[in-house]
Amino acid sequence: MASVELSQLTKRFGGLEVISGLNLSVEDGSFCALLGPSGCGKSTLLRMVAGLETVTSGTVRIGDRDVTSTEPKSRGVAMVFQSYALYPHLTVAENIAFSLSLAGVSKAKKTEHVARVAAMLRLEPLLERKPAQLSGGQRQRVAIGRALVRDPSVFLFDEPLSNLDALLRVQMRLELAKLHNDLKTTMIYVTHDQVEAMTLADKIVVLDKGVISQAGSPWELYNRPANRFVAGFIGSPGMNFLKGQARHTGDGVSVTLQGGITLTLPPRAVAAFTGERSVEIGIRPEHVTLASGSDAQISGKASVVEYLGNTSFAYVDTAQGSIIVQADGATRINAGDTVGLALTTAEAHIFDDTGQAWPHL
Amino acid sequence: MSGDPTTRDTSQSTALSHLTRSPAGILLTLLTLICAAIWFFPIYWAIITSLRSDQATVQEFGMLPTEPTLSGYIFAIVNSELPIWYLNSTIVSVSVTVLVVFMSACTGFAISQLRFPGRMVLWWTILTSFMVPITALIVNHFIIIAGVKLLNTHIGMILPMLLSPVTVIVYKQFFDGLPKEFREAAVMDGATELQVFLRVFLPMNWGVTTALAIITFIGAWNSFLWPFLVAQDEKMMTVTVGVSAVQDAYGVAYGRVLAGAVLASLPVALAYLFFQRRVTQAITLSAGIKG
Repeated sequence: MASVELSQLTKRFGGLEVISGLNLSVEDGSFCALLGPSGCGKSTLLRMVAGLETVTSGTVRIGDRDVTSTEPKSRGVAMVFQSYALYPHLTVAENIAFSLSLAGVSKAKKTEHVARVAAMLRLEPLLERKPAQLSGGQRQRVAIGRALVRDPSVFLFDEPLSNLDALLRVQMRLELAKLHNDLKTTMIYVTHDQVEAMTLADKIVVLDKGVISQAGSPWELYNRPANRFVAGFIGSPGMNFLKGQARHTGDGVSVTLQGGITLTLPPRAVAAFTGERSVEIGIRPEHVTLASGSDAQISGKASVVEYLGNTSFAYVDTAQGSIIVQADGATRINAGDTVGLALTTAEAHIFDDTGQAWPHL
Repeated sequence: MSGDPTTRDTSQSTALSHLTRSPAGILLTLLTLICAAIWFFPIYWAIITSLRSDQATVQEFGMLPTEPTLSGYIFAIVNSELPIWYLNSTIVSVSVTVLVVFMSACTGFAISQLRFPGRMVLWWTILTSFMVPITALIVNHFIIIAGVKLLNTHIGMILPMLLSPVTVIVYKQFFDGLPKEFREAAVMDGATELQVFLRVFLPMNWGVTTALAIITFIGAWNSFLWPFLVAQDEKMMTVTVGVSAVQDAYGVAYGRVLAGAVLASLPVALAYLFFQRRVTQAITLSAGIKG
């Protein structure tokens, strides 16, 4: 096991800078997810940790070693690829033992290691099969086994579940979580799927255009987003954003939305200011409720309703913009209905005109 | 529905049966049969003539020999250097096949997967070497081989036959088409470049290697002009060269000449017979390149 420290890491492809002066610390034994949209640099970052991509500037430390210029095989890391990359001409057992066979490990030792890994991943009945004879989930388990057999200090996963169907993905997610609990090895996991990141990781690093937008626990990212990008990226459906003008009041922040509706929000850790400032209120769909009469702060017409059984999401067109509401599955809303909405302002976020959040107190 | 292979197969076989039953289809089938018969007739004639005695070859013109005999074959084997020519052809063809396939695979891998100064220059050199037909270089080859005193040797025969840009290009294309993750996974597992090549890339392309090896072997076995120039001593001749010498020596002894020709083409015919699918694959692979 080992921690991973990235300092001032930069990667350029020609004139294009894909990672810009990035600093990141991944604690020993933690599960860190690199999350972000396509092209944000998360896979490049992982490949730099693996040694598959050279570093333009900055350092990569694994444990107490500077491995910036070290060959991949000497870094003590193992990687699981999105496409599994199982060698098609080798059996499952040979795939798992490939690194050992390159290292000149004896046949007896190889068999022992393969048996240990196969038992851990329930691969015993498949050891003599070729990759083409395996299902997607089984292939993924073999790919993990191939990484596991090397006893690495750090596991690197590059979108390992992307090629699986939805059901298998959930199953493999649980298996990965169990594996991490059992091994307690440092894992860095690249994904664009926020559900994977939220469910598996102790720490999520959200990347945007090669820089860290926010790094923190899943709770922090969901409940205390540092900026509008993170607030919008985490959560499905996404956060509602409503434009308004903010003013300091004695006991909080008062925000006047378009259409003249004024909301009072709890105080924020922001320097006192006079006059008004343009802001955006961010509020998650579960913090907007259907209301009637005087309880309704905003009203609008439901344009689309997504029914999911235990819950439903209504997309309501209001004078303040489109608002997504999460309603109880038992509540009947139909497209075209006019509904009243109440906002739980204590849970709302405020973003200034640069997109930065005003921190909660 | 079009994605269902069963449906597609059924519709294809229906279309095929319709074609064979329609007048146009019947005509097409007849034309194909006639072409096949025209193509096959000389081979058939060579075989039956080789089974006739010297007298019968000039007296009989039937489709089957009245008194089939192996005398032509026995004569060719006993009274010529055919066994030695076979050995020469085998040495040359096997050496050329092994060396061409191995060197082409190495070069294809290097150009496709490694980054080194001059890589593109090397690639363009190989590509442009296509523009010069081997026969145009044959005089130069002869002068060089004579200069280094390799005439009348197996090495002298083999060396110029190792030029095979098509094989390099086919390998490069295949290695280019492999997902980069295979190489990266092997590198992560601790493989050197040579191990990546020998233990991952080459075994993954075994089918291509087999196909290219067969077609290279056939090409080397059938080659005539260069062995004809280099092999000046009868004992250094390959089968193809030796058989033409037999023709000159025997004059009008067609039975013996054709018996020699049948024996000469036997390995190639067997190679085609046993590796039909691989040969077709190799021709398909290199067809787009040869143009």
